[in-house]
Amino acid sequence: MLLIGTVSVSWYLAVGAVLFVLGAVCMATKRNLLGVLMGVELVLNGANMNFIAFGSKVLRPEGSLGLDGQLIALFVIVLAAAEAAVALAIALNFYNNHNTVDVDRANELNG
Amino acid sequence: MEPTTDFYQLIDALKADSANSLGLFMPEVTLCVFIALFLAVRLITTKLDLFWVALAGAVVGLISSNPLQLCSGAVESEEMFTGLLVHDGLTVAVRSILMLFLVLFLIFTKISGVPDKEDGADVYSLIFGSTLGMCLMTSANHLLIVFLAIEMAGVPSYVLAGLIKGRKRGSEAALKYAIYGAGAAGVMLYGISLLVGLAGTAHLPTMALQLAEIIPAAGLGEQAVLCLAAVMIAVGIAFKLSAVPFHFWAPDVFHGACAEVNAFLSVASKAAALALLLRLAVGLGSVPLNEVEIPQILEVQHESIMSEAAPTQLVSLEDQVADDKSAEPAVVEETADAPANDTEAEPAADDSDEEPVAEGAAEETIDDEAQAAALATRLAIKQAHDEALSPVRNFIGLLIAFFAVVTATFGNLAAYGQTNIKRLLAYSTIAHAGYMMMSIAPLMMTLGTDHAGAEQAASALIQYIVVYVFLNLGAFSIIAFLRNYVGSEEIEDYSGMVKSRPSLVICLALIFFSLVGLPPLSGFLGKFAIFASLADGYSDTGSMALLILLLAGGINTAISLFYYLGVIKTMIMGEPNEEHHLGDRPVGDMEMTYVILITIPTVFLIVCWQWVAGFADEAVKNFIS
Repeated sequence: MLLIGTVSVSWYLAVGAVLFVLGAVCMATKRNLLGVLMGVELVLNGANMNFIAFGSKVLRPEGSLGLDGQLIALFVIVLAAAEAAVALAIALNFYNNHNTVDVDRANELNG
Repeated sequence: MEPTTDFYQLIDALKADSANSLGLFMPEVTLCVFIALFLAVRLITTKLDLFWVALAGAVVGLISSNPLQLCSGAVESEEMFTGLLVHDGLTVAVRSILMLFLVLFLIFTKISGVPDKEDGADVYSLIFGSTLGMCLMTSANHLLIVFLAIEMAGVPSYVLAGLIKGRKRGSEAALKYAIYGAGAAGVMLYGISLLVGLAGTAHLPTMALQLAEIIPAAGLGEQAVLCLAAVMIAVGIAFKLSAVPFHFWAPDVFHGACAEVNAFLSVASKAAALALLLRLAVGLGSVPLNEVEIPQILEVQHESIMSEAAPTQLVSLEDQVADDKSAEPAVVEETADAPANDTEAEPAADDSDEEPVAEGAAEETIDDEAQAAALATRLAIKQAHDEALSPVRNFIGLLIAFFAVVTATFGNLAAYGQTNIKRLLAYSTIAHAGYMMMSIAPLMMTLGTDHAGAEQAASALIQYIVVYVFLNLGAFSIIAFLRNYVGSEEIEDYSGMVKSRPSLVICLALIFFSLVGLPPLSGFLGKFAIFASLADGYSDTGSMALLILLLAGGINTAISLFYYLGVIKTMIMGEPNEEHHLGDRPVGDMEMTYVILITIPTVFLIVCWQWVAGFADEAVKNFIS
């Protein structure tokens, strides 16, 4: 049934939602800083999946985002790279000071 | 042949648009140029002190954002860069506030000496980059820019939080800020993707139009998705505003980062986030008038009516005009007959507009009539759209009201247990974010029904921001100078400070009382403006939420008095404790001059309050249509 059905926007949205949830769970449960950053990437890419699906003229002939969708996705990819670079630099700085990248060890400041 | 000319026309239009936009974009361009300069200098040498260059950059930015144009009348709202950004009074006002803050802030960092010569170039480029993002936040008109601007403002701030090398707490603060920030941004982006997908556009005014059409017919599923998207976007903005329950980062980051960075985060970041919230709330909650077109269907119908009524006249109009210019008066009479019975004379007027000969006096009166009629039509359409958007406004208004009450109350209550002055001020910042958000609730409730009320609420927010810039910059600069002097940021180490540094303590007391909102200090005026807009909103709409907000605001003001007083009491009544003084830099003349200059507006803003209120009124004039 799945193989013969027509692919519609909602299929892509489902993949995007799964990516988002995986990313959110990853952010919440991973104790390793790099794992948390991977979760962030998953969340961003889940959103990207939505943008691209919404932007497709094939999937959505009416009311599609058009090129906007693809362009937003491109911008987000670039931004995710920049954010990851900064976050990794901060992680290195944290490692230099604490000899660990375990986020639970960041407990000196208790809000 | 046809596609190529289209292409050239497109390029020409884009060129004209970019040239026009760049003129309005000068403050941001200035920041970009100086960022590039700092980075280039950093490649060559680390010895140069770039403070004067940075200060020059900030001053050029302030001049080119031209706050004085608000004094000479309201700024027209106009879109830049094909609708990605918008330039109106709000942009000018908040951008000018940000640039003014940047100037004051750079002087402050120079005096307190936190970015040393070696770090100067890096720190200045980060600060300028973050400010660039904040400027974009104030002028965002497209959800892509909303997201990009939030990230542009956020990412450099993560680094700034860990500015001082080799400090465990600094690195921890940067880490927490970066993780929470990235998470909140991810959630916000997902919310944006849902909203954009439903509306089929990311351009805010178009989106409002689309929503106005979608919402009345929306099923339960669509409503749920819209609410989810709105809440997710709210998460991102609440993080920037450090609104409860997304405030966890604020006390930790403020504790771990140095006081200079705190000043930057608590003032510039908040001001920009509030401007963005204002823009998003108003942008989604109402359709701007100049975005409303007479719909195509209506026009077509209209044209068919016209051509049925007077087919020969229209034909003859075109023919005669093309043939002979001397036939103008006759043509005018003919066209005057045609639309006379019809109020929606837009198409006919448009036709004659395009003709080169449309200059006669009679023509103009017809033109005026036609325009007035078209305006009336557009107003009616706008009102219909605004009517359809009232669930959106209610939802946003209640959401923000909820955030505001919780934030203000929690911030003030949590401030009591603090022993560290920076932590205390972090909670105070949170509480003030709550007060400022309060003004958006009456704005949303009265938007679309009571124009003056909505403007008053938006203006109150701008007034509060103006006051708040000086208050928090003053508070954090005093903390930074005291840190240099005492070598501590614990409140108990400041005990008896009044004996050695009386004027500093007096300035801090004035600033704190102003933060509480005691008259006649400036904080009182800001709070009064917001509470007045709440009260007016309540008497206009009778909305219970506004009454609750007003009560919560009043109670919170009373609560907040005591923890500010506690700090002042320790400084004045406590026993001096000189052996705790481990700092190496005395509070010199430079420091005192700076603190006094920053405190002056706190005390004397009441004298020129008219000016501040006028500035804020002009700022929001063309923003709400």
